[in-house]
Formats: sequence, C-alpha cells, structure tokens
Amino acid sequence: MTMKASENYFDIDDILASNERIPCRVELPIYRLGYLDSSHESEHLLPGTKIEFPYWLGRAVCSRRRHIVRVDLPKQYREGYREILSADATVVDLHKLGPYYYSFGTKLLHFEHVASADIAKSMVKTFQTRFRKIMDSSQNAYNEDTSKLTEKLDEAERSLFRSGQFGLHDFQRWETRKTEKLTTSNMVRNHQKRKRNVMDSNVD
Amino acid sequence: MSTLEDLKDESGEEVETMTAAEVLRKLEEAWLNEKFAEDLLEAKTDLVECMMEQISEMEDNISRAKKGDFKVSIHRLEIDRIRYVLSSYLRSRLLKIEKFATHLLEEEKVRKDDEPSKLSPEEFTFAKDYDKSLESHLRNLALRHMPAHIQSLDPKQIAVRPNLDKYVFLRVNEDTEGVLVEEETLDTGEEIVDMKRGDQHIMRYRPVAPLVASGAVSLI
Amino acid sequence: MLAEKALELVRELERSIDGSLPPYNEDRVRQVLEEMRVLYEQNQKDVSATVAGESGLFSGVQVRHAALERNKRCLLAYLYNRIEQIKKMRWEFGSVLPTEVKYNLCEQEMQWFGRYNKLLANYMMSIGGSGGLDLTQDMKPPKTLYVEVRCLANHGEFETQDGNVIVLKKNSQHFLLRSECEHLIRQGILEHIVH
Repeated sequence: MTMKASENYFDIDDILASNERIPCRVELPIYRLGYLDSSHESEHLLPGTKIEFPYWLGRAVCSRRRHIVRVDLPKQYREGYREILSADATVVDLHKLGPYYYSFGTKLLHFEHVASADIAKSMVKTFQTRFRKIMDSSQNAYNEDTSKLTEKLDEAERSLFRSGQFGLHDFQRWETRKTEKLTTSNMVRNHQKRKRNVMDSNVD
Repeated sequence: MSTLEDLKDESGEEVETMTAAEVLRKLEEAWLNEKFAEDLLEAKTDLVECMMEQISEMEDNISRAKKGDFKVSIHRLEIDRIRYVLSSYLRSRLLKIEKFATHLLEEEKVRKDDEPSKLSPEEFTFAKDYDKSLESHLRNLALRHMPAHIQSLDPKQIAVRPNLDKYVFLRVNEDTEGVLVEEETLDTGEEIVDMKRGDQHIMRYRPVAPLVASGAVSLI
Repeated sequence: MLAEKALELVRELERSIDGSLPPYNEDRVRQVLEEMRVLYEQNQKDVSATVAGESGLFSGVQVRHAALERNKRCLLAYLYNRIEQIKKMRWEFGSVLPTEVKYNLCEQEMQWFGRYNKLLANYMMSIGGSGGLDLTQDMKPPKTLYVEVRCLANHGEFETQDGNVIVLKKNSQHFLLRSECEHLIRQGILEHIVH
C-alpha cells in the first residue's frame, strides 16, 4: 500500500519525510551545540529549552533508552486537527499539513506517545475517506490540467493519483491502438527537446 | 524446396513441436508471475534455454527456406513474439536483481544446499559484479573520504528489500484449502480462505507467495 | 540545522524527476564531507575529555553522531539515485551517451557507466548458452513483422538483414523489419508510422 513508509535507505521520499520537524524540550544539557537553536545565542542547549528537531535527530536523542530531549506531537497530529479530519477529511489541505502527512505520521508512532493509537486510527480513517475521491478524480481527469486536483493531496496520495492516471492513459492508448506504435525513448525525447530549446534561445 | 511441412520436419517430430508450445505456455506464465510479483522468483533456466534453442532452430530453418516464401514471414513473426516474451521476462528479473542485489546475495550466502537458488548462474555473476561495482562507486566518491569509523556499509541497513505486503491480483489454478491470509491481531481474528480453481482474488502477496512458486495460483 | 547541505543534494534530485540529470555537484559533496570531518573532530575531543574525567558530554556526542549518520545517508542516496538515472540512460540512449548528457556526469560516473555497459553486455551474451539475447531490444509486443518508418535525421547507409543497402535520408520512408530498426526508433532517428 502506498501508505506504508518505505524503509529503503536510499529512498528520496523517505529522506525528505524524515526531515519533518518535531517540537522538543531539552532534558539533558547538550554542550557546545547552542547554535542549533537559531532563536537563542547561547553556547549550550540547556534543560528546558524548546527547540524543533528534524525527525531523524529527535529519534536519535529520544528513545526508551535515551532521554536527552522529550518530544511532543507536531500540531497537525494533535487532537484538534484529528477532530477536523474526522469531521470531513476530504476538504482538508493535507499537503499543507504534510507534505508527507501519512509517512511522517507513521514515523511518529515510534515515539510511543499516549495518543499513538489514536493517530494511527485517524490516519487510516482519513485515507479511507479521501481515497474514493482521489481515485474518482484520477480516473476521470483526461487531457486537462491536474494541478488543481492534486494541490491539496499529500505526497503518497499524489503518487496514487499518478498511478491512476497512468492506468487511464494506458487504457486510452490501447483503445486507440497507440500502444503498438514504437516510440522514441523518453530520455532521448526530453534530451532533443532541451537541445531544441537551447538552439531556439540562441537564435533569439 | 521449403514448405511449412519441411520446416516442421527439420525441427523434429510432431511430438516435439507440441512440447515447444507447452514450453512457451509455461514461459508465458512465468513471465506474468515475474512481472507482478514483488520479489524475484526462482529462475526458470530450463525454459529459457529451451526457447533459445527453439529460436535458433527456427532461424536456421528460415535461412534455408526459399526467398519470398510466405510461410517464412509467419515463422519470423513467431520468432519475434517468442523473443519478446523471453526478453521481457528476463528484463523484469534483471530490474529486480539490480534493485535487490545486496539482499539477494545475502540470501544466497545463507542458502542451504538442498534449496534451489533464485538466480541462474549467469544472473548470479551479474548480481555479484553489479553489487561490487556499486559499492566501489559509493566508496570512491564518498565513503573513503569520511571519518574512519563511519566508512563501513552494513548490508542489513542498506539492502533494498521487496515489499511483500503489496496487494496482487491472482487466479487460482488448483483447489487450495485453508490459506491463512491474515494473522490474528488485537483488533481482528485470523482470516482463512479456501481457494477454488478458477477463482480470482486480490490479496497481500506474502501469504500466497508459496502458492505462486508451486504453481497453485498465477498472478494476473 | 545539521546536515542541511546533504539534504540539499537530495533535493536537487527530487527537483529533476523528469529524467534529466543535474550536473554532479562536486562542491556541495565536498562541503558535506567537510561538515562530517568537523563533527567527527568535535566528537573526538569530547570523548577524550570524558576519558579525562569531564562529565555530561554524552548528549553532544550523540547529536553529532546522528548528524554524521544522516550526512552519510543523504550523500550515499545522492550517489545511488544518480546511478539509477545513469543506468536508465544506458537503456534509453544506448551504449554511447550524447555529449551534453555526459557533461553532467563526473569522471567516476562516466567510468561506472562504462562498467555497467560491460556488465550488461556480458550478461546478455551469456543468456541461453549460445550467442545470447539483446534485452535492450523487443521492448513492446510485436504486432507485425515489418513496420513503416520515416527518417527524422540523415543517418546514412543501412544494411538490412537480407543484405540490401538503403540510404536513410531525412524524410524518406521505408518498410523495414521491426527487429532491425527498433533501436533506431528508440534513438529518435526513425519514426514509426501507424495508420
């Protein structure tokens, strides 16, 4: 399923999703790394300091064994937002809350926060509610600008939308007997296009 | 003089022609399974070699046939079709071999003697060389310039593995009872399905992977 | 924040998902490696101080160690995903890359391209025992034996399988065996005409 976070070490989306920020509170002094907190100009990060860490860093300094910081839930996963999503998930701009709403949310579950189970349930429900609309629009948008349809989708939903579109296009091509046509490979075509653009702009 | 009969005679007995069709059918099934399965399936080396021989035999026959013989075109198109299935099958495998090279080589290391290898000998050579060349690339451009304690590459950490929880479409070839498709969890009980020949299902790949390998179901 | 430069490398690739490979960013790679060197040295210092009796330095060491691992992951992912693109080039352009494309590859990447080329050729040659099979051909199921094609560029003389020599001149049209002209179609020299 698209929602399943890929744990692939080299995966670009996973790297970007693990860069999303988490609010943290420093519990143990972190010496000589005060520069990580751009709002303060102290040399050290002292207990009590509030700071946002990317997920990958939060995970390294807050675990069952390690309590260098205490992490809190990012607001888009707190109860208030979960309520909005449960009221009508289809109207929410998940990209603005995301853009890796599901995959980042799944990572947050590692922290075993008291609300973890609720967050997981909320994400499944949200996805189920939005799924029908996404598939519907991806199967019916043909030859039109789809950016309006996808702007409020999180990255996983966008890739779902794209696979729906691929399927639709393949089917249309098959119906119109275009699949049997042998074509120039994509990279070659893009390369030629770029080359033409360069030549055109040189003429200007 | 070369006619269709001659072409057939030269390639062997009637029985063998039948076998070739049967081999092609099996190859086509292996091809679809390979295309839709997330992980690399066992190599069908015999089928590949058999079809390759078939192609070169047909090509020999054609080269001996008279120029302009209409039947030659039909045979040529048949060769093109077989070659397409063969290359598409091997391409699907190659894609996975490249993607999962580290993982496959790790599996190969712990494989017991009586277990069959997923890789053909040629694929194994390719996987080994490919994995090595990728590692040495990462080493030359990055790892060897890093602090010593962080230069190692842990296969367990970096290996890309197939996602066996993906959903697949399948058709049942043999009645199979009591397939455990979902383990029991806190929220739900276990789910067991009886499969009847001819049924079609959508389900997670993991529980049916052994059935794909045995031929009891085909991916579609 | 730590490991920002390394993340920028990854973002460069994310932005160029349409298949064009951005130039190898040697400068930024060097900056990432430099950040790693500094983090490592600071950690060495803190570890020595701890051995000498100072306490409370562990948190900092932990943070820097995580940053080292993160830098490593981003940098390797940068190289790895570029290799994925470079591999695709072998399949789409063939064994010879256009100059403008080559220009965006660094020296080692060009060498890797050559190695991959060779690996692939060796493998394809070993398929089935005798003669092998060219997997970069037969990309689509065949419908007909012959295809009608139109030349998009002057390509010069071309010997067909049955021994005839034809001239592939821009805008000329030919009826060719599909198996002998598929490569030329994929490379944009011929266009397949479907009625």
